[in-house]
Amino acid sequence: MQQTETTVTGARTFPPLGPKTNSIQQVRYVCAIGAMHSASAIPWVIPITHCGPGCAEKQFGSLAMCNGFQGGGYGGGAVVPSTNISESEVVFGGENRLRELIRASLKILDAELFVVVTGCIPDLVGDDAAAVVREFQDEGVPIVLAETGGFKGTNFTGHELITRAIIDQYVGDYAGERTPGVVNVWSLLPYHNTFWQGDLSEIKRVLEGGGLKVNILFGHESEGIPEWKRIPQAQFNLVLSPWLGVQTAQHLENKYGQPFLHLPAIPIGADETSSFLRTVVKFAGIDPAPAEEFIRKEELTYYHYLEGFGEFYSEYFWGMPAKFVVIGESAYALALTRFLINDLGLMPGGQFITENPPEEYHEAIRREFQTIASDVVTDVAFEEDSHRIHTLIRQSDFGQKPPIILGTTWERDLAKEMRSAIVEVGFPASYELVLSRTNVGYRGAIALLEKIYTTVVSGTA
Amino acid sequence: MRINLDTPVVESREQRLGTIIAWDGKASELSKQSEYARKSCSSGCGEKGRRLCEMKGPFTQGSVCSEQMVECQAGNIRDAVLIQHSPIGCGAGQVIYNSIYRNGLAMRNLPVENLRLISTNLKEQDMVFGGVDKLEQSIRDAWERHHPKAIFIATSCATGIIGDDVDGSARKLEGELGIPVIPLHCEGFMSKHWSTGFDATQHGIMRQIVRRNPTKQEDLVNVINLWGTDVFTPMFKELNLRVNFVVDLATVEDLAQMSEAAATVGFCHTLSSYLAAGLEQEFGVPEIKAPQPYGFPGTDAWLRELAKVTHREELAEAYIAKEHARVAPRIAELRELLKGKKGFVSTGSAYAHGIIAVLRELGVEVDGSLVFHHDPIYDSEDPRQDTLAHLVDNYGDVPSFSVSNRQQYQFYGLLQRVKPDFIIIRHNGLAPLASRLGIPAAPLGDEHHALGYQGIINLGETILEILSHKKFHEDLAAHVTLPYKKWWLDQGDPFLLVKGE
Repeated sequence: MQQTETTVTGARTFPPLGPKTNSIQQVRYVCAIGAMHSASAIPWVIPITHCGPGCAEKQFGSLAMCNGFQGGGYGGGAVVPSTNISESEVVFGGENRLRELIRASLKILDAELFVVVTGCIPDLVGDDAAAVVREFQDEGVPIVLAETGGFKGTNFTGHELITRAIIDQYVGDYAGERTPGVVNVWSLLPYHNTFWQGDLSEIKRVLEGGGLKVNILFGHESEGIPEWKRIPQAQFNLVLSPWLGVQTAQHLENKYGQPFLHLPAIPIGADETSSFLRTVVKFAGIDPAPAEEFIRKEELTYYHYLEGFGEFYSEYFWGMPAKFVVIGESAYALALTRFLINDLGLMPGGQFITENPPEEYHEAIRREFQTIASDVVTDVAFEEDSHRIHTLIRQSDFGQKPPIILGTTWERDLAKEMRSAIVEVGFPASYELVLSRTNVGYRGAIALLEKIYTTVVSGTA
Repeated sequence: MRINLDTPVVESREQRLGTIIAWDGKASELSKQSEYARKSCSSGCGEKGRRLCEMKGPFTQGSVCSEQMVECQAGNIRDAVLIQHSPIGCGAGQVIYNSIYRNGLAMRNLPVENLRLISTNLKEQDMVFGGVDKLEQSIRDAWERHHPKAIFIATSCATGIIGDDVDGSARKLEGELGIPVIPLHCEGFMSKHWSTGFDATQHGIMRQIVRRNPTKQEDLVNVINLWGTDVFTPMFKELNLRVNFVVDLATVEDLAQMSEAAATVGFCHTLSSYLAAGLEQEFGVPEIKAPQPYGFPGTDAWLRELAKVTHREELAEAYIAKEHARVAPRIAELRELLKGKKGFVSTGSAYAHGIIAVLRELGVEVDGSLVFHHDPIYDSEDPRQDTLAHLVDNYGDVPSFSVSNRQQYQFYGLLQRVKPDFIIIRHNGLAPLASRLGIPAAPLGDEHHALGYQGIINLGETILEILSHKKFHEDLAAHVTLPYKKWWLDQGDPFLLVKGE
């Protein structure tokens, strides 16, 4: 794998680094079984894990605790059943053990749907987990299977496997009418994106403000399984991310003839959010009047606060960073970069896409960054290994002031070294407590300004 | 039961010690069944630990694996690198143990930094064709990036199954790089309890790092611990002894000089058993054969044994007397403040025995405890280390004493049995349930918090602090739904589905 030269701003070019290797130091995504969090992110759904004894705990400790201290919720964390595979299941197979665990889970746990996920071991020794799960499905038990062996993909691709498993094995066929004005939203990866709960709430609020009825599907604002059952009845699917969810939407298009709207950039700030809402409302073909009224009110509030911010932004005495670096998964990296360039007038100092998106989406993602603004040249680097990312940043020249770093816990040492302000906006954010906070839409943009500039100001004296 | 350093693979806890992960009864009964201090080991004790009746059931929740303990030990050595030879998912632990490493460094007043763990990031084709090329690449990357003093390799379930020759690669690269390259065999499925991961790390360190021709340092004492506050240096100063903290936050040189020490101690036999016994057997460094340093009798005996081995009896007696006098008044006050309070201890095995002792020193009732596993014996086989017998003999029985490897579904029933005012925990996963039931928890992230004489005071103060959180937890409890079915919650017996084998 030869590293391509990475340009960052118009003026600067990163010097070539040695070739990429397989090594990943300081992980920024996990394996497919980590997507068990997409199951527990649906109200009253509990994953059942068929894997080694540490897999479930490790994914939980990493994604849900040391990442915003979000907590496991109803059916996640230490609640999650696991076969805790031992040597005998490796040698003799683990199907009986899985069957036994599912039966016991039905007795002990109260869930509207169980999602069985598999780890490396059953996928290597060849357990027929599908056959075991089918036995329960035949009995009418609400249960589905997603084969998420760790070597098969990331928690992003695992998310689509789980989503698809629920649609195909539980939601099932549908040939009825679709309800105008109803939208299914496919956006941020639950738990991995530290702010997913607050962000999905804000996205839902904005869409509802425009007169749409929203199946948000993940998080406490979803109705849970009844909402998933209604997926086929929605008028259309909205994919709000550069690539995650596109496969799901394509599948739904094939399966139910349901159209989809793909908007790669999650909106942050009034300009983006108002324009986002207008686009969706237009696609839905519903009356634009409620949306316009909503936009008017939201912008009043937004610009009220922005005016206050403007006083600070224009005359704060002690200097302000001019550049920023973003290191994160593509959805957030794109959304944040757009906002910081277009709304704040900051200069990009490096954008790193770290979730290893499937190769076929790279070009489209790159294009999104390149077309953010006509007067600013931006590009992205697809890098997963933090050692490489940090080396590239260290080699950069940021001019007279260090950039703001919007990144993760892995950048704390680097920020200290560079005297940069660091805002932990993605996995892992081990020094942030995140409950309902959002960085997107109207409200999130204001909260994001507060966070970024509190960090900047509190680091000054 | 000799420790065998000839093979690269450590013998698991269940093989060496007869470790169990599910049991329910009285502490006195478990102590009796363990046949440790209670009986002469000539009767009925086999070569490999003791055979205890273990329970097994159909329902289990996610446990913890040996590889995680390797991450938290070998991955927290300051000038080494740990390679995780695995698909990327095992790398999730990097986040958890980084958080621990950073905060541990801060507690110890060392420069805070990220840990150095590298995943070989194995993919589907590697499962077919093998992953040793990637392993060797990552070892070379580790060398180029950090020039570490040692490189550890953690195996994974996947590499164990596909049979990668990790030992061969390690040998090859060790020759090439001129530093120890140490394979640690820690496949999660190989042991039912994660503490085997401690042993795997310690096994590799003894095989490849500890100095073979030591120059003795008569005032140096190995302290096998994690990342806790340095409470040992002030204590050892009184005895003219110096501390060598291992394994977490140590340097490779600290590990190498373990063979030069005058003695080895630990804060918890679960963690220190293998290394301390190995150092004695292979390098002649005596392990302090005493109860753990918790509560007055335990700390007294521990200090006296340490003093005997290092020939500092007079200093120790003076220190013991001074400390008893110093802590007595506040402990008397704390006993008043904590009168009538009930506590529940759910931590690792030997550690729980120590913590229960401290709670009883404080006059707190402890009618229940859950330990994540039970070792019927430790590697030394010395009855003076029988921590459970020490607890029962000095502080009385614990009526509800359960072994359960962090099974939250059983924890509900265990709490109902004894209705504690607070719980004490070390691993995650149980306090969230207690909180939803209105019960506050004291998480002992600093494992030295309750150690020694001052530890009795520390724990008492912490309990007062967390009891005041009760308001929060009770409010929460009134507003949450548990994921367990009513049928299960109504069962009196948390071990209903679990049967003896």
